[in-house]
Amino acid sequence: MGNHVMTETEQPSAPAIELEALCHSYGDTEVLRHIDLRIEHGEIFGFLGHNGAGKTTAVNILTTLIAPTAGTAKVCGFDVAAQRHEVTSRIGYLPADVRMYPHLTARENVEFFAKLSGVKKPSTAVDETFEYLSCSDLADKRVGSFSTGMRQRVGIAQAIVHRPQVLFLDEPTSGLDPVGVRQLRETIIRLNADLGMTVFMNTHLLSEVAKVCTTIGVLDHGELIYKDTIAATTERFPDETSLEDIYVRMERSAS
Amino acid sequence: MTATIARQQIVSLLRQRTFVVLLATLIVMTALAGVLGWSSHHTIVGVYDEAVKLLASRGDPAPPNPFLLKPTLALLSNMVVYIPFIGALLALVLGHLSLVDDETVGRLIFSRRISRTEYMIGKIVGAAIVLVAILLASLAVSTISLAIVNRTMPTGADLGRLAAFYALSWLYLMVFVLIGMVTVLVTRRRSLALLSAMGAWLVITFAFPQITSGLRPTQSLNPIVDPASTSQAFFRFTAKARPYSIVEQYKAASASILRTAGTESTTSILRQVAPLLGLSIVLAVVGIGLVDRHDYSSGSNDE
Amino acid sequence: MSESTARVKALAAHEYRAAVRSKILLVLLGILVTITVVSVYVAAVDHRSKVADYAAYRAAAQASGLARIAPSTLAPLSLLRGALEYLEIIGAVVAITLGYLTVSRERANRTLTLIRSRPVTAGELASGSLLGAVGLFTTLVAATTIVGVVCVGLIGNDWINAAQGFKLLLAAIAAIIYLGAFYCVGAIATANTRVAANGLMIALGIWLLVVLILPQLGDTLDADNQIPGGLFKALTLDRAGETEILKHFSTYETTRISIEEASFAKHYERFAFAMTEVQDKYRGFSLGRLLGAKRNDIGWMIFYSFALVFGLRWSFRRQPTIPQETT
Repeated sequence: MGNHVMTETEQPSAPAIELEALCHSYGDTEVLRHIDLRIEHGEIFGFLGHNGAGKTTAVNILTTLIAPTAGTAKVCGFDVAAQRHEVTSRIGYLPADVRMYPHLTARENVEFFAKLSGVKKPSTAVDETFEYLSCSDLADKRVGSFSTGMRQRVGIAQAIVHRPQVLFLDEPTSGLDPVGVRQLRETIIRLNADLGMTVFMNTHLLSEVAKVCTTIGVLDHGELIYKDTIAATTERFPDETSLEDIYVRMERSAS
Repeated sequence: MTATIARQQIVSLLRQRTFVVLLATLIVMTALAGVLGWSSHHTIVGVYDEAVKLLASRGDPAPPNPFLLKPTLALLSNMVVYIPFIGALLALVLGHLSLVDDETVGRLIFSRRISRTEYMIGKIVGAAIVLVAILLASLAVSTISLAIVNRTMPTGADLGRLAAFYALSWLYLMVFVLIGMVTVLVTRRRSLALLSAMGAWLVITFAFPQITSGLRPTQSLNPIVDPASTSQAFFRFTAKARPYSIVEQYKAASASILRTAGTESTTSILRQVAPLLGLSIVLAVVGIGLVDRHDYSSGSNDE
Repeated sequence: MSESTARVKALAAHEYRAAVRSKILLVLLGILVTITVVSVYVAAVDHRSKVADYAAYRAAAQASGLARIAPSTLAPLSLLRGALEYLEIIGAVVAITLGYLTVSRERANRTLTLIRSRPVTAGELASGSLLGAVGLFTTLVAATTIVGVVCVGLIGNDWINAAQGFKLLLAAIAAIIYLGAFYCVGAIATANTRVAANGLMIALGIWLLVVLILPQLGDTLDADNQIPGGLFKALTLDRAGETEILKHFSTYETTRISIEEASFAKHYERFAFAMTEVQDKYRGFSLGRLLGAKRNDIGWMIFYSFALVFGLRWSFRRQPTIPQETT
């Protein structure tokens, strides 16, 4: 798979993601409070937190969909608010419950997004992507007839068709059956290993985090209460048998 | 059961902002017709006075005051245009709102002891009552306009005609309320329902008169309809459908009732109204049939 | 091609494709095309007999050796009046629907998030969507015009000449701009409301006001229209007398005219009718003189269109990208 996107002046020393005193509020409700976070290139980062903790808001800020109320957020060294174009040229995004255009085929959907990302040969890129994700059989079918799992694969295809440096996944396993979850896990690991993509994943599923992620962060009521590698985490909590137990303990001590 | 549905329906319509907008639009529209009637009166009198002066200076005799040629209820002739154009669109929205929210709560309703026929009849009755209330408000505004412009209360006979005109308008608008309901039942998305209803309105208001009578849209907008040239072979077939062109029949019947253009016998007016009544009944029956088969299980309400 | 142009092109192609795959839009287009054809057909059949009458008169006059033969007063382009009126009324509904669908589609499919997480600016999104819509309107207006001209030629027995063709082209361009403006109205109203169906209703309300109510008001208020058959005629007044009397009603006339001026539809109508010789008074005008006479309408159309295009860009920029319920 070749790189189809022209890249601009890179900032090689910059981390993949960098948040400094990031805050966000909806009216009077504070959703994110002074978050500092640094994620290096090549990491698979699992962002944990209960419903309403602010995970989706963080992804929305990092994908430039909303502007932070205070603080800064950078992707590959570019500021999400001031350098939107540079940021969006380097990221791929799979929102929770991705839908796409039901009347278009999977190929038409992905090709449209490839063009918007400036991919030079969109149709070749789409073919390669479907092949890479082993879902070429879906290419010419309309998305409207797809199951959640099929839609998710097309969703990933649109998110990686332009070979982004950083991939954002928001609750990617929700609604998938066990087989689908396993396929997704394998895909994420491959994307990271083959293409060196940095992955930022919001999730509830601790078992998945343990199997896929290299680093985790825990968000509680808008505050980042923990961040470390999986290995260090299990070492730090030797009494707990699973990540789930560790998570529950962290949440309890935070509240 | 039917009464419960109708009552719930009326309360829920009254609570929606859209309903207030509908009511306000109809009242403004009636008041506008009144203002236009007043302005027309004023203009005719003004032009007549000036004309008398001008003709006198030329030594010509003064013509008869043309205002005397105008029937008393002509003040409201614009209502005959506003009802099928604006009123009908509002009626579509009324019908649409009556059913569209139940796409999501239908599951809750039909898991109780109520038949779907009872439900639909309740909905129709509720909307019909709301429509009566709206039109009564409009009737009140019309009466006030007449009293102000003519500087005297309308006579009993005029009031009777006015009431008959509003009764006819109610029947005409019920057709569109029912279209608004039926389109909710045959489509899966809110917007699709609204647009299909709009399509039906376009066909009834513009396409049908064009095909049966060769009326161009700007001619349809005029309260005084010029007879179009329909001598062609084309119209020999299509003119047969003219009695079913409800907008033309409505306008003709209204003009007869208000005596703004010619006078027709009661029987011929009734003949003009018959297709309207027939269509309402057919739509109501279709609506009941559709609700019986409608899928309320998904609970989704897509835009 | 710059990257931005490529993105606008992709968005325009996407808009066009989505439009032609939308069933409701096709149904509305079907209604529009059917009644347009009927209106042009009916007018053309009438025209044919008039053309035949004139030919007979001409032949008779020539046979009797008349030196001066009255020129034909027939205006074949005016047969397209119905088509232009339907574009004005129903075409505007189609355009609003398309504008509504542009916004609601991206919301319902949750694809606006996907689009906006790419290097696409709100301005590019607005330009691309508008261009796609204009592409569709061009197809529609071109098809209507061609069918109309062929109907007039084949059925009406009167083929239009190059000069008339050019004027018709200008009327067609005005129609495309007019539809583009209503597309903006539909998209702006939908982008600014939380429930898309409410946006559609607001846009249709504007349509009602601009296309039906304002022009009808202006027309109804016309002093001469107060009595069937004409007020001035009833008062046995000639044209000079009418002008004399109207001098006393200048404020009234100004009000009436400004009501009409407020309607974008009226400007389109006046321009298109002048170009297609619907109004007798413009027949025989040179193109330059015609454009001069219509400069007011041209100016208003340009003003409204620019305002609406800016409105579209502004609305796309400020419309929330993410579904409202997410935290």
